[in-house]
Amino acid sequence: MANPSGNSTIRPPQGKTKGRPSRSRELAISFASPIILFVLWEIAARTNFIDRRILPAPTVVAATIWDMIKNDDLLRHTGITTARFLVGMIVGTIPGVLLGMTMGLFRPVRVILNPLVAILYPIPRIALFPLVLILVGLNETSNITMIAIGPFFTMLITAMAAVINVEPIYRDVAKNFGVKPRHLYFTVTLPAVLPALMAGGLVSLGLALLGTVAVEFLVSTEGLGYIIWNSWQVLSLSRSMAGLVVGALLGAACYLLMDWLERWITPWQRTAKR
Amino acid sequence: MDGPGNVLARTRAGIAIKGIAKTFDVRPEPVRALERIDLFVTEGEFLCIVGPSGCGKTTLLRILAGLETPSEGTIDFSIKHDDRPLQSMVFQEQGVFPWLTAIDNAAFGLQARGVPWADRQERARAMLGKLGLKGFEKTYPRQLSGGMRQRVNLARAFANDPAILLMDEPLGSLDEQTKMLVQDDLLKLWEESRKTVIFITHSLDEAVVLGDRVAVMSHRPGHLKAIFDVKLPRPRNALELRNNPAFIEIRRLIWDSLREEVLRARGE
Repeated sequence: MANPSGNSTIRPPQGKTKGRPSRSRELAISFASPIILFVLWEIAARTNFIDRRILPAPTVVAATIWDMIKNDDLLRHTGITTARFLVGMIVGTIPGVLLGMTMGLFRPVRVILNPLVAILYPIPRIALFPLVLILVGLNETSNITMIAIGPFFTMLITAMAAVINVEPIYRDVAKNFGVKPRHLYFTVTLPAVLPALMAGGLVSLGLALLGTVAVEFLVSTEGLGYIIWNSWQVLSLSRSMAGLVVGALLGAACYLLMDWLERWITPWQRTAKR
Repeated sequence: MDGPGNVLARTRAGIAIKGIAKTFDVRPEPVRALERIDLFVTEGEFLCIVGPSGCGKTTLLRILAGLETPSEGTIDFSIKHDDRPLQSMVFQEQGVFPWLTAIDNAAFGLQARGVPWADRQERARAMLGKLGLKGFEKTYPRQLSGGMRQRVNLARAFANDPAILLMDEPLGSLDEQTKMLVQDDLLKLWEESRKTVIFITHSLDEAVVLGDRVAVMSHRPGHLKAIFDVKLPRPRNALELRNNPAFIEIRRLIWDSLREEVLRARGE
């Protein structure tokens, strides 16, 4: 018994109230977690807990990256990968959203196109590459096509499902308050599906990056994917790892950008999740 | 428009509901939701409609709101509304748009009608203020409590300033205390404006607190079973009325009529 007298009093906690950490603290924690991972990795590599030849220490990888920037045009390769990724992302998402929303809004369109989506979507995308190369040619256009396929289908399916699932009450409200049918699209449908589209965008981002690296593995002589694969084939693991780390940083940067974009485009979601 | 035989509507302004019926064409067999409703709602009246779940009261309201077409019958609106809209609906709580701030939600109807920005902002702000939401103009609905969200919903309809307000269980999702507070707000707003109101509710207490008349609908297919006059003095106070002997008496009378329908609905 903590209290021998038998009396017990419930008091509010003394000093600073516990609870959810402040935003700046959350940010600090978010930064700390990858840093701690790097530190552990460094220690594990230096103490030979993991094989340095397979997984070089972060400092070694960083030195390799620096060396490659100076001697092997790493920045140019990174730029090429970024450009491919961005173009593929745009070329995939925009038509995907437009077509998906059209399919969601108009039942006849959905009836016609849904079977095609059902046939095409589950095909492992990389298996389409030979076909794309024959149809489009061995050039940058077919690379972009390959990268765009993932985001295209993801956004199509996300947008269609989101439109179908818009609460019917929103349309009733808009109609009752005199919104004209042709204005329903921008006053109700678009804002109602935006949060789902932003989530789909985040998934598409990962797929587009995956597509970019896959294409660069297979046909390209430039880009981070080329560096990773080529270095592996000549058994230069630290260079391969350097390419991987730069690719991961690129992905993380895009992810953060998307996250920021989401907060900016759908501000009502930001506060809802707290 | 007034037909030659429409004496009633010509002598009194109001809503003449004549022989309204609705059948939903669904599988496996069509569902008869409403069975020939005849009802006259006088201009400026606060009419409450109660009935067991699934009796078609929401369907009736949706027909009045133009969101559903009747299978039979007609509705004549003989209420002058000049430059204001004829009717606006107060939807259930989920009808507030999550992507608009409280003030933009409240100004939604005005915006749809093309009222200039400054004007509609001012009217929406004033209405939010009347409903105790001053300082929450820029807040998104999900940051508000259920009671506050429902006040935004009311503000949207009242700011639109229609001749008729159609309310579909607007307070159904609120807890008992909050409900009483919002009822009180609603009474004050209505007593200022004296709009024609048709108010659907599950709650008998609520119907008696708010209404001039209470219509009881039968179990499906819904038809009008009885109409009760609520002769309680106005202005009413939602928080105190419930202990009034006259309130208890009229509530008992209506319950006797409703109970049978509720039991039938359960027995099905």
